[in-house]
Amino acid sequence: MNAAITPDVRRVLYAYAVAAAVLSLGAVLHPGFASWTSLRAVLVVAAFTGFVAAGQMLVVLVGGIDLSIPWVLNGAAIVLTTTSLGQSSRLPQALALALGVGALAGFANGMGVAWLGVPAVVMTLGMNGVLQGLSLGLSKGLTCASCGSYAPQPLRDLFVGGVAGIPAALLVWIGVALLMTVLLTLTTFGRRVYAVGVNSRAAFLSGVGVRGVTVALYTLSGVFAALAGIMLVGYGGQPSLGLGDPYLFESIAAVVVGGVSILGGRGHYLGVVAGSLTLVAVTTFLQAQRVPEYGRLMIYGLVILVILFAYGRDKAHD
Amino acid sequence: MRPMSTRSEIPPSAAVLAVRAAGVHRAFGGVQALRDASFAARPGEIHALAGENGAGKSTLIKVLCGLISADRGTVEIFGQQVRRVVEPAARRRLGVATAFQELSLLPDLTVAENLLLQDPPRGRLGLVRRGRLVPTADTILRKYGVDYIDSRATTADLSVAHRQIVELVRVLAQEPRVVILDEPTAALPDRQVEWLAGHMRRLRDAGCCVIFTSHRWREIEQLADRVTVFRNGTQVATRDRISEAEAVTLMSGRTLAGTYPDISALPVGETVLRVDELAGGRLRKVSFDLRRGEILGVGGLAGQGQRDLFLTLFGARRAAAGTVSIGGEQVVIRRPKDAIRVGLGIAYVPEDRKAEGLFLPLSIRDNVALATLSRRSAGGFVRRRAERSAVTSISEQLRIGGGRASNQAVGTLSGGNQQKVVMARWLLTDARILLLFDVTRGVDAATKHDIYQLVADLAAQGKAILFHSSETEEIANLCHRVLVLREGRISAELPGPVGDADQIVAASLKEASDA
Repeated sequence: MNAAITPDVRRVLYAYAVAAAVLSLGAVLHPGFASWTSLRAVLVVAAFTGFVAAGQMLVVLVGGIDLSIPWVLNGAAIVLTTTSLGQSSRLPQALALALGVGALAGFANGMGVAWLGVPAVVMTLGMNGVLQGLSLGLSKGLTCASCGSYAPQPLRDLFVGGVAGIPAALLVWIGVALLMTVLLTLTTFGRRVYAVGVNSRAAFLSGVGVRGVTVALYTLSGVFAALAGIMLVGYGGQPSLGLGDPYLFESIAAVVVGGVSILGGRGHYLGVVAGSLTLVAVTTFLQAQRVPEYGRLMIYGLVILVILFAYGRDKAHD
Repeated sequence: MRPMSTRSEIPPSAAVLAVRAAGVHRAFGGVQALRDASFAARPGEIHALAGENGAGKSTLIKVLCGLISADRGTVEIFGQQVRRVVEPAARRRLGVATAFQELSLLPDLTVAENLLLQDPPRGRLGLVRRGRLVPTADTILRKYGVDYIDSRATTADLSVAHRQIVELVRVLAQEPRVVILDEPTAALPDRQVEWLAGHMRRLRDAGCCVIFTSHRWREIEQLADRVTVFRNGTQVATRDRISEAEAVTLMSGRTLAGTYPDISALPVGETVLRVDELAGGRLRKVSFDLRRGEILGVGGLAGQGQRDLFLTLFGARRAAAGTVSIGGEQVVIRRPKDAIRVGLGIAYVPEDRKAEGLFLPLSIRDNVALATLSRRSAGGFVRRRAERSAVTSISEQLRIGGGRASNQAVGTLSGGNQQKVVMARWLLTDARILLLFDVTRGVDAATKHDIYQLVADLAAQGKAILFHSSETEEIANLCHRVLVLREGRISAELPGPVGDADQIVAASLKEASDA
């Protein structure tokens, strides 16, 4: 084995190769597919997947999972519009509140998993249900007086327009990618995350605060989900019920297609970036091919399975 | 329960071997558990397997009954080759039944369900007749004279001794041609040992081959027709009679003189660690002092509280009572993080590297640096240059991996190098007190020698070292003093270097037979 190309790096490269292959195929079959407008759309849509997948990846790295993403995202989106009431002056407080909701939900998830020993699947699924109920109840099924509010104009300008022709979602995504990479590879925290993910008992015996690390990661996952919610209302103007539903499957798929081990301890965010791009490229390509909805879903699922199968074979050689 | 095999299958001639293993090799990761091991047992004999912990007895048993496969070599049961792993049903067809040391009962099932798990009473259509479970199990329990065990009880609720008995009854009830019992008496009180001995003799007289292991020499002398002694993964002798003294010599195996560094010349300083009436887990009020520059051995039979002592001192398990003082000041260590702190400076090198020490897919650098990350960081960032130089210098000092790149995954290293990686992590913490728990387990001879020298050097530098090893010989030769633990208490203290491992083994054995 070449020492420079570890299996982890190889998977990241695979993920980019697949993304590139899908995009080239689209470009050949559809002349408009490779245009900047079209690519730009792919990138923006992939950015939203990328945000939630960042949080999902962090908990998957320690062998966990976050199933509360859909309603943390949705809840944060609703909190943003109902508290800002579309007024620019209220934007900072509304942003803080929306992110705070995400952080709080994630923190509760982390405490449940790390201190109470609740299995991650159960804890986060329960949290998803609680937040769904809260969102529906407090907004009376999104019919409350303030529920018709739009996101404040500056936020909408930013995400609909962009900065110097570059979509804001894309800029934020680049920021998130940098942050994730720095966090995981250059900080002591990142080192501890991988140690906990690979062998939590040995990490504990090496003086790592395993519980603290776990709580921090779930909290971050909540923040990333809230961030995605904020940007989705910035993009679309108003929240809807079920806004976050597609993102549970997509976040998990992007993480595993990006080469992160679902068992924890291995993977890079750059792989997850490629995973997000691949998923969106496949969807866009199938739409361009005018494949009907049911066919798209089937092919989408199959593509993920094929990619994972390839990883599984790769792993057998390690 | 139907018999699994009929007696008529047993060849009439005793010249045919019941069990034959030849040239068996078996490794786990980098650890060679069996090397060129051979073993033979006849029908109609009780054959004891003796040896220290880690000598390869349990591995041999697993290979013999087809639970794991041998890397090389042949295994035959009544002349029939056992290749690869054998499924339970096929194992019973071979006529082999095994009671494992780590019991194979399912804790959440009832005694009846466990007893009849492999062969439940069936009705038409092959469905299990649950109504017949309890009566059938009761019949079996009565047949083996243990009807004091309630077949409807949940297995987890039984005492360890009763669980052991259920495991044994399950094996006996299969009426096998070859019975293998791994440490069957470890958890049994005397009266049940007699009960088991009776059944072993009955099976032998019926022409069955009975193989068992025990750490109690008295049992081996009373029960066994022949004894095979194992050491370091291979058999060193098979005899009809072996005296205890001779067996101890065979089991511990004298290493050539000069293998161990001379520690008697090393000066011992003031008390660094004082442990007072420490209890918790298996520990019952243990008190001792550990001095600067001292290597204090902790010996005794396996599982007498040694592990709990080490883990409690390191904060990895809670103490139920007692106090620990370091440098004259009483300290409370709640978790390993506290123990590692510069002020206390305790390091624990675990026995089971893979489970407790290593991060196999991560690099040498990540593994070595982990316990001291925050000491080489600025604002939460790793100071990479400082890290590189620290890792490089300690790697060179310990000669890790023959100068392999520090970004190499630890999983690719040999067992000896992996152990050095764990040692390196703890040496970087600059601890004053080192808790070395069986650090030479599964390590090749050359690395063992390196580690002995390293331990002596560390003591010479003034470290206080608590040393446990499953190889009693190491404790005998490498320690200034030896504490013998028995049932969580210190039962003897021997001045060192003891030199003669037999003394420690004798001290532990004598105490155990009194129990």
